[in-house]
Order: sequence, then structure tokens, then C-alpha cells
Amino acid sequence: MSVLRGNHYALMGIEPGATTEQIEKAFRYLIELYGDEALATYSLLDPGEAKQMRAQLREAYDVLREPMRRLEYDVRHGLISGRAPSLGGELPSAAFGAGVGGADKDDKTAGAGRAEPFVLPEPVNGRVLRAFREERGIRLREIADTTKITLRYLEYIEADRYSALPAAVYLRGFLQEYARAIGLDPRRTSEAYLANSGIQETGE
Amino acid sequence: MNGRRPGTAGGSARQIWSLGGGKGGIGKSVLAAALGYELARMGKRVILIDADLGGANLHTCLGMGAPEKTLGDFILRRVERIEDVLVETGFRGLRLISGASDFLGAANIKHLQKVRVLSRIRSLDVDVVILDLGAGTAFNIIDFFLISDVGLLTLVPEPTSIESGYRFLKAALYRRLRAVAPTEAIRQIVDAAGDRKNSLGIRTPLDLLNTVAMEDQRALEPLRREMAAFHPRFVLNQVRDEEDGVIGHQLVTACARHLGIAAAYAGSVRFDDTVWKSLRQRRLFAVDAPKSQAAEDVRRLARALSGGENLAIEWA
Repeated sequence: MSVLRGNHYALMGIEPGATTEQIEKAFRYLIELYGDEALATYSLLDPGEAKQMRAQLREAYDVLREPMRRLEYDVRHGLISGRAPSLGGELPSAAFGAGVGGADKDDKTAGAGRAEPFVLPEPVNGRVLRAFREERGIRLREIADTTKITLRYLEYIEADRYSALPAAVYLRGFLQEYARAIGLDPRRTSEAYLANSGIQETGE
Repeated sequence: MNGRRPGTAGGSARQIWSLGGGKGGIGKSVLAAALGYELARMGKRVILIDADLGGANLHTCLGMGAPEKTLGDFILRRVERIEDVLVETGFRGLRLISGASDFLGAANIKHLQKVRVLSRIRSLDVDVVILDLGAGTAFNIIDFFLISDVGLLTLVPEPTSIESGYRFLKAALYRRLRAVAPTEAIRQIVDAAGDRKNSLGIRTPLDLLNTVAMEDQRALEPLRREMAAFHPRFVLNQVRDEEDGVIGHQLVTACARHLGIAAAYAGSVRFDDTVWKSLRQRRLFAVDAPKSQAAEDVRRLARALSGGENLAIEWA
């Protein structure tokens, strides 16, 4: 029995745009599938092969559950595709978050001739945003110039310094501008960031 | 197994379902009888065929004595038409063709006899034909499985049953692949794969494809196509707890990842004392205890199968 080939996603039987919850469930399901006592596989794999499968799954899971490691892995394996809509260069190939989001129809920047905005897998935090931006070769200063958002706030967003950031109602707008500038889906990026930060919108 | 749905065409048997399993004593015949009964209650015209040549007992599961006319009479040409061996079961919409264990060598019918039976089964004017297959992986069993539109592999959540199930699936697939092998050399490779101790190191259908690719790249495509068209469905019988139910999904995943077979999980039937209590009295549990867990499960299974539905992993 040959060991299964393919990337971490193929091994886990999930799409590159899988959510954290899907990754968790796939891992739990497959670890059980290749367990020593598993009825469905014991006659297909010898104990050594099952052990090797479990080790491969753990390796994949350790990468995919960590947003930063997952992002680096996706970039390294050409799972990010398309062109940055405004400032960045071309990314390798395939799809980052394919099947998860795609274009936000309300996003006016996603017009003809532009790449579809990406949807980052959750959780989305400042580190993930910075890694995505840097991968595209976009400097914060460029974003500040384009969006007219103070450079300091952009730094705070990427540093997850929530207490230094403005109220959620303003922050949402900043996040959407920032996301748009680096080729991310504005609405879903801002929602995911706010959800991960725990910042509540206090109303009008 | 072409996935046609019952009730969508006229003239001939609109859908043939078969219940195989590789192993005996796992409740296949009782399940076939109960499925037939539930389908008939849904208003379908159903014929149950006891294709367990040599070990027929489906009539007992239905609470009937051994019918006078059997499939053996048709095979031995004592009657001309297969319809001449049809008997009423006493349940509206459900008829039976009893097994052929009444003549010596029934399990070893000749190829031409088998072809005649298979073609006449297809010509039966009903909504659903259900074939109850015997144990093992003999060609006479597998060929009945392969002519069906819905091939159900009945298993119980026990190691011996699952091992037999995988053996059955591989044997059925290799039989199909052999039929489309374009050259004698490829046929020999497929034949070798059927021997577990083959010298080519082929353990699974995926290994077989690799070996074929090395021998003759052009031969790969027809085999791949045939493999992709093979869609058996698992039914788990005598399930005792929720964890057992997960095994159905695991079997599908394991088949896809390690055998290259695109199977599906049709559903499960819970272990239920009413089943054997009824059987001991030579009665059908679905009739005796229609509100029992097993009867409910069979009813759900009948509805799902006639609607072409399978169970999917919740999060996938």
C-alpha cells in the first residue's frame, strides 16, 4: 500500500479554503479511521502503514491549524493564486480560499479585469493579514497613501493592538479599506478580524 | 449499476437492486424481505428473487412454505417463462421467485443458463426487482450483483464481515475490469490481481492500475472508466450503537482512499430482538413489529434508496 500522495489538504480530504472547524473535524475523523482498532482500515493497511498515516495526518494538522504556518504552506505550495488588485505582484498559482468566498458582489473594486478578492481562512488576525500583505510585496506606507488611513492604525491592526484602535464602527471601515488594498474580500475580512478580536460594536 | 431511478420508465424492470455481502449469516435475506415489503407498502410493484442458488431461504423470511415452483424450474426449462415461477407472498404488491436449491448443482449453473436468467430478470414488468444473493465471491453471485442498478453491500460491524465485504468488492470490480481489458496481457494482470498472493505485488485496484500503466499506458483509460462507473453502496446491518454508524462513512472513505472505489453509504439498520423473534416464528419482523427500531430503519432505507439518496458525512 503506497502512502497517499498530495498536499496536506488532499491528505485531510478537505479543500484549501476549509474552515478551522472543518480541519478539526477532518482530523478527528481520519485519526479514528486509521486507529489500531479501526474496523474499516485494519484489513487494508498493515499496522506500520496505519501508523505512518497517523503521523502524516498529525503533521498536516499541525500546519493547517496554525494560521501563520498554514499561510506560509499555502504560499510555498502554490495554493495562492491571482494578481493583487492594486499594488502587489502575481502570486504563484491555484486558489487561496477557493470555494470559500470569492468576490463580494458589493465590492466596487472587484470590477472587470481585476482579480477576485481572496477570503482568508479563519481565524483572521493581524499576523495573518501582515503575512498576506508581505507576500504580495505591499508596504504599509503604500496602503496608508492609498486609503488615507493613518499609518499608525494600520500598524496597530497588524499588531492586534485592539485597545489602541478606534471604535469598532470606524475600525470596520479601516479594515475594509485595508483588505481591499491588498486584494482581500473587504466585508468578510473585516468581519473575521472583528470576530476574532472579540471587539463588539456598541451600536449607533 | 447505472443509478436509474424506479418509476421512471415503462415496460421492463425499472430498477434492479441486489443485496450481496460476501459473508453468510449477516441478515441479508431478512433485510431483502423487509425492504421488499416496505417498498410494496410504498405502492411499488416489487419482485423478490432468491438468487442464493444452492442456499435459498427467502420464502422462510416471508413466512411462507417452500414454493412449488422455483427458479430451478426456469433454469432447467421445466417452464418457459420466468413469470411462470412467480408466486404471491400474501403482501399486496410483493411477489417472490424462490431460490433454486431444489436441484443438484444449482449453485454452479452454466454460463448460458445464467445469461438467460439475467436477461429475463431485466424483462420483468415491475418497479423494483430485489435480488438476494448468496454468500461468497463466486462468479455466479458477482454477476447478479453487477447487473443491478443498485448494488448493496450488506455488512455487519464486525471484522469478519468487513473483510469479506472488501473481498467481495474487489472481486466484483476485477470482474468488470477483466471484461474491458483490451489485450490478453492486461487480462492476465487482472486475473493475477484476483489472487491475493500474486507475484506482481498487487494488493488493491489502485496497485492494479499502476501495474497496467507500466505494461501498457493505453490500456489504462478503459479500466479507469470502468472503475469510475462502479458505485456500490454499503448498508450496515445489526448496528448496536452510534459509533457503529460512523463505520459506514469510514468504509466509504477507506474505499476511496485505498481501493480507488467510489462507494456510498446508504444507511444502517439497528440490532433489534424483534427481528430474530419473528424469524424464529418464521414471520417477517416488519409485519409483526412495524414500530420496532429495525422496521423504522428499513422503512427509512427503502425511502432513501428509492429516492437515490445516500448518507454523507455531516461536515464534508
